[in-house]
Amino acid sequence: MPAVEEISESLIRENITRAVGDVFKTMMGRAVAFDAAEAVPGEGESSAPQVIGTVGFIGDINGLVYLYLAEDFANQCTAQILGMNAFELKTKGEAVVNDAIGELTNMVVGSFKNALCDAGYPCKLTIPSILRGRNFCIQSTRLAERRSYRFTCGSHRVVTDIILKSGD
Amino acid sequence: MRKKILTVDDSKTVRIIVRKAFKSYDCDIFEAGNGVEGLAVAGKELPDLILLDITMPVMDGVETLTKLKSDPLLKAIPVMMLTAEGGKEHVLKIAKIGVRDYIVKPFKEDVLIEKANRIIELKPLADGPGKVRSILDSAEILIIDDKPAIVAQIQEGLKHTPWKVHGVSTQLDAAEACSKQLPDLVIASLTLPEEGAYSFLRMIRANLKTKYTPVFALVVKTEIDAQHKAQEAGFNFVVTKPIDIVDLESRMAKAMNLDMSGRYYTMDDDLLVLRLPENCSQTGLAEAAQYLQPKLAEAVDAGQNKAVLDIGGIKALDANVIKLLMQAMQACRDLAMQFALVANAQLIAECKGFEDTRGWTFYETYEDAKANLGKGAAKAAPVLAGT
Repeated sequence: MPAVEEISESLIRENITRAVGDVFKTMMGRAVAFDAAEAVPGEGESSAPQVIGTVGFIGDINGLVYLYLAEDFANQCTAQILGMNAFELKTKGEAVVNDAIGELTNMVVGSFKNALCDAGYPCKLTIPSILRGRNFCIQSTRLAERRSYRFTCGSHRVVTDIILKSGD
Repeated sequence: MRKKILTVDDSKTVRIIVRKAFKSYDCDIFEAGNGVEGLAVAGKELPDLILLDITMPVMDGVETLTKLKSDPLLKAIPVMMLTAEGGKEHVLKIAKIGVRDYIVKPFKEDVLIEKANRIIELKPLADGPGKVRSILDSAEILIIDDKPAIVAQIQEGLKHTPWKVHGVSTQLDAAEACSKQLPDLVIASLTLPEEGAYSFLRMIRANLKTKYTPVFALVVKTEIDAQHKAQEAGFNFVVTKPIDIVDLESRMAKAMNLDMSGRYYTMDDDLLVLRLPENCSQTGLAEAAQYLQPKLAEAVDAGQNKAVLDIGGIKALDANVIKLLMQAMQACRDLAMQFALVANAQLIAECKGFEDTRGWTFYETYEDAKANLGKGAAKAAPVLAGT
């Protein structure tokens, strides 16, 4: 069973950067840039309203990836993916945004973990879930590796929080 | 026949994207949120294609695929995976169960359409449901010919139409032009080097967006073998040189499936006007006759009960013009519509020379006919000889 420590930080960073970039570009035509400034685990947590997509993967390596978006930006992304205007989106309610951000996260995490699979760490995805709120903190167990990365998409910030653990 | 496509995905977002991607094609989209629902819909609708996700609640895509392939009724339905699960081993494992294609999310709608079209033949909807294009609408015409004089001749001949006629001299230029603006019809010279017209035809037929675009071949009239070869290759029509522009225009309009009635019929206040154009060919007369009954019915439905039949623009009277006028007058009588005839002095004189038309009464201008119809002159207006 491979250990998480075998996976280099650069492999994680490169894969998540490519995954976020591909998904935002393909689904919304938006360019995303990696923010080289050191990200602190948990920095996606904000006092502003957040929509956070979560998708896990299980197998030789287990993991959980959180994709943090400000609520306004999550609404914009959803409208763009579904070809809706702001009014249509408002009438559809939060469920539509939750589903779209869940799927966006699913694609990002799928792309990220497929690269891990091809690098010799077979695993499969779990079903997405959504967190909404502000001023909350996600903590990981001591046995898990945690990496946070920050990206910019125009004037918006996207944060990925990756928690990895060796498979049982 | 309309194609049926079933999308099985727990994400409503993906199902909306799929529906949006296929909306301009002649197909029905069915949705299911998991494998159990998917199998039920597949059994009921027997779709032509199933788009299947893997990670779903209740029943995942792998189990769904396995069940589909073990069901004698459903196993022949082609399945295309549309999933974020894309590790090489995973793909190979699923491919062994039997899928026709595999798209890893994120995906572009174009890619989805292109891959689906390789499995089932998708037919684009013309211009959206219900909208019929007319001879009065703009259209993009592309001519591929390395002889500028031919391009100029066609442009000149069609300048009275609302069509935009562009000329390019090579197959490569044509491909570039198509990438910028999809043409409504293409005319390609068979004398282009290296059988460029045939290569272009293959290219345009291979592209889903242009596969139904009419392509005419252009060749000298005496090149009989080349004409046969072009017909066999699948050109929609072979235009021969010297070009009969009137006939070409009519063929083009028909190939573009345009409603031609606007060329002959107009509404003027409460009047239906049938006006034959100056260059009206025998094909044109046939077209005018074809639209006669529907346009009269349309006028009656709109509460209009007067018609002007104006042949003042044509150059000479012949049996087919007379036949059309007789049909039109009889139809007006059947519908209790008042009508008046308009012709120029020469045509009126010609009418006096035929037994059947000798008794017809004409106005020399449209304005006179319209004014007199308004006064109820129709009672005294033209009558068929012998009636």
